[in-house]
Amino acid sequence: MMAKESGGILKWMAEYDRRYVYLALFLVTVGPLLRPIGMPISVSPDTRQYYGVLQQVQPGDKVFFTLNTEFSGYNEIQSGIIATMRVLVEKNARVCFGVAHVEATVIPELIVKAVQSEMEANDYQYGRDYIILGYIFPNEAAVAAGAQDFHGVVTQDWLGRPIAGTFLDEIDDWEDWDLIADFTTGIATSYLINHYALRGTPMIMNCIGIMIASEKPYVDTGVLLALLQSMRGGAELEFLIGHPGPGLTAMDGFSFGHYMLIVFVLIGNIGYFGYTRQQQMRVDKEGHE
Amino acid sequence: MTDIIEISVVAVGTFLAMSMFSTLYGKSSPLYALAEESYIGFATGLTIIWNVDYIWKTGIVNILAGDWVLIFSILLGAMILLRVHPKYSYVARLPIAIVLGAQFGLSLRTIIFTGFIQQIQATIVPLFTGGTQTLIYNWTIVICVIFMLTFFFYTIEMEGALGMSARFGEYLLYIAFGAVFAQTFMGRLGLVIGFLQSYTIPDWKTPYLLGSMLLVLALIVYMDKAGLLEKLTPEE
Repeated sequence: MMAKESGGILKWMAEYDRRYVYLALFLVTVGPLLRPIGMPISVSPDTRQYYGVLQQVQPGDKVFFTLNTEFSGYNEIQSGIIATMRVLVEKNARVCFGVAHVEATVIPELIVKAVQSEMEANDYQYGRDYIILGYIFPNEAAVAAGAQDFHGVVTQDWLGRPIAGTFLDEIDDWEDWDLIADFTTGIATSYLINHYALRGTPMIMNCIGIMIASEKPYVDTGVLLALLQSMRGGAELEFLIGHPGPGLTAMDGFSFGHYMLIVFVLIGNIGYFGYTRQQQMRVDKEGHE
Repeated sequence: MTDIIEISVVAVGTFLAMSMFSTLYGKSSPLYALAEESYIGFATGLTIIWNVDYIWKTGIVNILAGDWVLIFSILLGAMILLRVHPKYSYVARLPIAIVLGAQFGLSLRTIIFTGFIQQIQATIVPLFTGGTQTLIYNWTIVICVIFMLTFFFYTIEMEGALGMSARFGEYLLYIAFGAVFAQTFMGRLGLVIGFLQSYTIPDWKTPYLLGSMLLVLALIVYMDKAGLLEKLTPEE
C-alpha cells in the first residue's frame, strides 16, 4: 500500500525488499524437497557422453577417484559422485579415493556408505578393491610428484595404514591409472589436468555450475573425455543408470528455483525500466510547464 | 536407530547453518557471529590437524624409512614459521622463494598447453562437415571468438567494419555474462538445495531443520524489535 501511494506498483517492482527473494527461494526449494512432485527431466548430450565413458570401464580397472571439493561443494555434486561410484562398483573397477581439501577427508566414507549394498553384493574388500588415501593433494608439487612417482609421495592410507600389499602396488606413475574421475569445485583440478590428463591419463570430471564454461574447452580438445555438469548432470546420470538419488530428488526444487529467478528478473526489469521511464516523463512534463 | 550423538550433530548443525543464513535478514546479528566464529575455529583446527598429518605421512615416515633428503624439506618448512618472529622473519624468504620458483616452474611447463594452446585448439573446428546442429555450433564458436577478440583491440581506432565487429563482440560478451550468471545461479542453487537435502534426508532430520529455521527467525525478529541486534553483536 505504501509503495502504491509513493510511486505506484512500478516503483515497488523496482525497489522491493530483497528479503522477499530469499523467503521465496526458501519456500520453493524446501517445499518440493519435503513433497516431491517428480517433474520430468531430459538428459543432455554431455551427460550421455559421461555415461558412455563410464560404460567403457572394465572389471579390474584402476580408477583414481579425486575429490577436489570443500564440504559445501560436495552438496552440489554429491548426486554425480554417488552415481559415478555406483557405476564403478557395478563394473567391478578398483577405486582409489584421493582428497585435495581437508574438509573432504570424510567424504569418501559417506560415498562408501551410500553404495554399501552394491559393494557388499560385488564382494568389495578394502585394500583389494578400494582404498581411501585421504588428504594427498595439498599443492601442485604433490600432484606433480605423485604423477611421476606415486609411492614416493603416498605410503599410507588416511588412517595411517601402509598401502603396500594393496592394489596400489600396481601404480607407479600417471600411466598406470585407467581413469581419473574428478569431482571438483576447482581446487586441484588444473593440477590433475596438467600433470595427468595432458600426458594422456583418461580423465572425466563432475564440476560445480560456475566451472562449466571454463572446463568445457578441455572436452572439446580431448583433454577431458567428458564433463558432468553440476547437480543437474548428477540427476541426469541417476536417471540414465536407473537409480534415483539425491539429484533427481532435488530437481523439482531446482526447476522451481530457476522459474522463480526468471519471475524476479522480469519483475525487477519491468519495474526498473517502467519506473525510470515514468520519472523521465514526469520531469519532461514539468519542464514543459 | 538414530542415536543421541547423531541427533545432537543434526540439531547443532541446523541451528548453526540457519544462524549463518540469518545474515539474509540484512542486519548484523550475534547468531551470525556465533556461527561464523565457530566455522573459522573448526576449519582452522581441521586444516592444522590434516596438514600435520600430511607432513607426518609424507615427510617423517619417509625420513624414518631412509629418505634423508626430506629432512631439508622439513627444515625449509620450519624456516617459514620464523615469519612471525620480528628479528628473524627474513629467514622465511628462502623457503618462500623456493616454493614460488618450484610453483612457477611446474605451472609454466604445463599452463602454456592447457591455458593457451588447448584453448586455441578448441576454437579450430570443422566448418563445412557434420550435421546441421554441429555446423551451427561450430560457426557460432568461430564467429563469436573473432568478434569478441576485436573488442579487445585497444591500440587502434575502432572505425568501420572493425568498429562494428567490436560493437557486436561487446553484445556477445553481454550474452556470455548472462550465461555465466545463469550457470552461477544454477551452481549456488545447487549448493542450497544440496545443503537442505542433507537436513531433509532421512525424514527424521526435517523437524530439526524447520525448528531451527523458525527458532532463528523468531530470535532475530525479537532481537531486532528489542534493539538487541547491534548491542549483542561483537565488533569486528
